[in-house]
Amino acid sequence: MSNIQETMMSGMKNQTAFTIPVLGGIPISEAVLTSWILMVLIMGLVFLLTRKLKPDQPGRVQAFLEMSVGALNHFAQDSIGPRWRAFAPWLGTVAVYIAAANLSGLLGLVPPTKDVSVTAGLALTSVCLIYGSSFRFLGLRGGLRKFAEPMPLLIPINVMEIAIRPLSLCMRLFGNVLGSFVIMELIKALVPVGVPVVFSLYFDIFDGLIQTIVFVFLTALFTGETIQEE
Amino acid sequence: MSVAIGAAIAVFTGIGAGLGIGIATGKATEAIARQPEAASQIRSNLLLGCALAEATAIYGFVIGLVVIFVG
Repeated sequence: MSNIQETMMSGMKNQTAFTIPVLGGIPISEAVLTSWILMVLIMGLVFLLTRKLKPDQPGRVQAFLEMSVGALNHFAQDSIGPRWRAFAPWLGTVAVYIAAANLSGLLGLVPPTKDVSVTAGLALTSVCLIYGSSFRFLGLRGGLRKFAEPMPLLIPINVMEIAIRPLSLCMRLFGNVLGSFVIMELIKALVPVGVPVVFSLYFDIFDGLIQTIVFVFLTALFTGETIQEE
Repeated sequence: MSVAIGAAIAVFTGIGAGLGIGIATGKATEAIARQPEAASQIRSNLLLGCALAEATAIYGFVIGLVVIFVG
């Protein structure tokens, strides 16, 4: 029993992978290291897949890529509205990163989204996008007036939402990934062979992808709502 | 002992999430049975609603973990 507790404790902590020996040592956490590995993998994949693109006779890879980008654009158009063009690339990038991060548990890496700092960073970029685009598209007055909608009585609630939205985005992703990580560790400690594979299908693949979709979808929805004009 | 009880109380939030997801799924099934051609749209809305409802359970879980490991 104490064995399980020890595994849990070590799984919960954010370990330092190594330290760069400059300026008195910069600690690099496991989340950052895994993110770097994922970045290399994603960039390699991007270069590999987009090498021989032909406009007139698309191959199978190109058809798949065009389909995915088309689906992303369609999704952005649906949830953001007429000004979707500027947001689609960002949404796609975040989706690819979160999906890769959540699925990295399958490769035996520690998922970076298990670290609350990573999800907090993602949520902060989201909230900057949401309110930044509001001021960018509606102007200072229009952006401020957005807080008094649908009626001035709700101003305190709308102001509180500036903090609540990133908090809930951050905690949702972090809690889900950490929760599935802890449950997987428990299952692995109880039954080491066979059973974890079945549960990993749900907890690693299904849950990870759902959370990716939810994060991107909520960001798009909030953005679409804040840049909407009457 | 008191830590364990505190964590258990925090995880009680799961009740709300379970009820909410159950109701949402039931309604979605009804809606799909009535209008099978709108199934894909209903499914995406259901997914979003479930994720939002599930968030409360996740908050409880995170707080439970914080109570055990940090407090």
